[in-house]
Amino acid sequence: MSINIPDVQGKRDAMKELVTEDMLKEVIEVYISETDSISLLDIPSTFVSVDAHDAEAIIERNNQYAEVCRNRMGNDKYVDRSMQTLNGEAKNKQVQSDSIVMVDTAATVTAWDMYDTYISPEQDETVCVPQAERADYPEVAVDTSRGAEKNMSVGSSTSSVASSLKEQEALGNGLNAESELQLIMLSEKFQHLLLVTERSILGNVFQPKLAAYRELPILEGKLISINVMIVSDSDIPMKPGTVEQREDTESPRPPAVECLWAFSCELSRGRSVSSMAWNKKYPDLLAVGYGELDSSNQKPGLVCCWSHKNPTWPERVIYCDSAVTSLDFSFNNPSQLAVGMQDGSLVIYNVQSRNQLCVVSSSECTNKHLAPVWQIRWTQQDLSLTGEEKLEALYTVAADGKICKWFICNNGLDCIELMKLKKIHNTKKKAGGNKTEKKTESVLSALSPGLCFDFHPRDSSIYLVGTWEGLIHKCSSSNSQQFLETYRKHFCPVNCIIWCPLIPDVFLSCSSDWTIQLWKQDHLNPVLGFSSTQKAVCDIKWSPKCATVFGAVNEGQLEIWDLNSSILDPVIVQPAAPGVKMTSLLFATQTDCVLVGDSDGQVTVYQLKNLTNICESGAKVINVTLANRHNTTFFLS
Amino acid sequence: MAEVEETLKRIQSQKGVQGIIIVNSEGIPIKTTLDNSSTVQYAGLIHQLVMKARSTVRDIDPQNDLTFLRVRSKKNEIMIAPDKDYFLIVIQNPSD
Repeated sequence: MSINIPDVQGKRDAMKELVTEDMLKEVIEVYISETDSISLLDIPSTFVSVDAHDAEAIIERNNQYAEVCRNRMGNDKYVDRSMQTLNGEAKNKQVQSDSIVMVDTAATVTAWDMYDTYISPEQDETVCVPQAERADYPEVAVDTSRGAEKNMSVGSSTSSVASSLKEQEALGNGLNAESELQLIMLSEKFQHLLLVTERSILGNVFQPKLAAYRELPILEGKLISINVMIVSDSDIPMKPGTVEQREDTESPRPPAVECLWAFSCELSRGRSVSSMAWNKKYPDLLAVGYGELDSSNQKPGLVCCWSHKNPTWPERVIYCDSAVTSLDFSFNNPSQLAVGMQDGSLVIYNVQSRNQLCVVSSSECTNKHLAPVWQIRWTQQDLSLTGEEKLEALYTVAADGKICKWFICNNGLDCIELMKLKKIHNTKKKAGGNKTEKKTESVLSALSPGLCFDFHPRDSSIYLVGTWEGLIHKCSSSNSQQFLETYRKHFCPVNCIIWCPLIPDVFLSCSSDWTIQLWKQDHLNPVLGFSSTQKAVCDIKWSPKCATVFGAVNEGQLEIWDLNSSILDPVIVQPAAPGVKMTSLLFATQTDCVLVGDSDGQVTVYQLKNLTNICESGAKVINVTLANRHNTTFFLS
Repeated sequence: MAEVEETLKRIQSQKGVQGIIIVNSEGIPIKTTLDNSSTVQYAGLIHQLVMKARSTVRDIDPQNDLTFLRVRSKKNEIMIAPDKDYFLIVIQNPSD
């Protein structure tokens, strides 16, 4: 067979036939047949096996030849003779071939590149499939081919091939930028990235305040000094200003609050904060309920979950049907938030995911409250039978005078009544007083609205309820007919009752009659009373760290009282911004900060400074005061 | 979608934020709040930086990946949130 190389190289025209759809669909039959064997080269072998059948003849011939060669030397039969051959004229012929184009290709193979390639064959199939779905994009064919190429080789050549494909893509890409942007913006990963970025930015903006919240040492000044602080020890003073401060701490400074920041956003502006609660598992997550408490302005309520990582926008926003009056996080399921509203309904939300929020609602329950739910509390019962996870129950107190215990059944909430707050008239309690009370009850079966309650921190079957009439009842969850005790002192609605977490059997109550009373469980008269301004006290809380410190919020100011220093005046007074009323209060569990919610929808974080941390045993203070009861006057009129 | 737009607006209005750029995987900016020349400059330079940073992280442990990159300089801070197909650049001057 001869191979034909024409002298003149012609360009092979790239003639492409247009492939139509029909042609593609046509069934074409392909026949395959075998050609005859073409022998290109045949060199017979010069070796024969000893076992072959003509071996003997060949061996014979070989021997004869060896014989002849040996006899050649002095034999007359053989004569040497020389010959000369003619060399023909050589003619040069030149042929030129196309130069083979050499292209240098290089690639850096990195450890992760190899890892990706080994890992990705399983994942590549899944990756190609969603890309194929983008049918309206012209890059489909390019993408699948790119994927196939990746499968072929290990690493090195894919980068060059891929880059040439990318060039093609980039040229045709001008129109697709917008749709690409849309796609990106819709992806969840992008939203997550935005969240992280926003938090980083806010971290920069709020850095000194957040550091103060966490009780980290702060240096005044610009970013540069903060960087230097990280590098060197904080013992070395950087500027003369800081040296001064250190010398100053020896002279006692008056206790004060410093405003750190305020949780506020445009959603919450204009709404009044009605309640706040910390999450039980993540003590930095704060749920705030917004709702107008005066019934003239019936805006639907709002619950926002704030994190200190972003003081300008809440992590979760839940729109509620009616104004929110109280809320609490669960112990056992820390993402469940129970919210009580002004129309008496109780809804449990799950704040973990952004989408699925509502877990269960009490709207179908027959026994539900018909009046605003003023307080909600999750309580852990004492050790359950197994002793591992404490059982948890949800209790509410509402303006219709009922205290209910709720549980989830059949995808809804159901409740059992724990106690009815019967009205007790002002007849003095005598030995036989119970009978007369029962008589009056049967005549007037009206129930007195309950405004607040609190469970004993150690014995969760005992709880206190504050009512509209100013009475505080001590009840037991096992006895739903009678009150164990009644504490009378207030003559206006009791707004808040709270047991002291550190001193046993001591609780505080505050009321719209401008006073705060401190009680001991077995004394029917208050041990101490506090009064500083002529405004209704809305909220009161004990400090979780110091047994003698508590905070109170009346409409015009925030007061921090320290029983160690003074029982007549609050130690710190922080007036509210003009035109704004403070409505609720919460202590931060891990730092010395107080959160105050006001009627403009802001939750301001104040840091308590210079409160003496040497807390003597609070019980001692109370007992001393009890002993001196007869001699001291409590009230400032 | 509206939420994402709102978040972007909020970020833009935070204290000291000078600009936001979203760059696709080839280094072409697809959304920006800065002027054209700065955008192109940032996109081109930061693209290389992110590739290098990502390569570094993954070389040390191929199962690891870069999630966030912050470059703090005397005058401002550049925050880069990378992803497979794009990255988000925010420039902030926190002492404004």
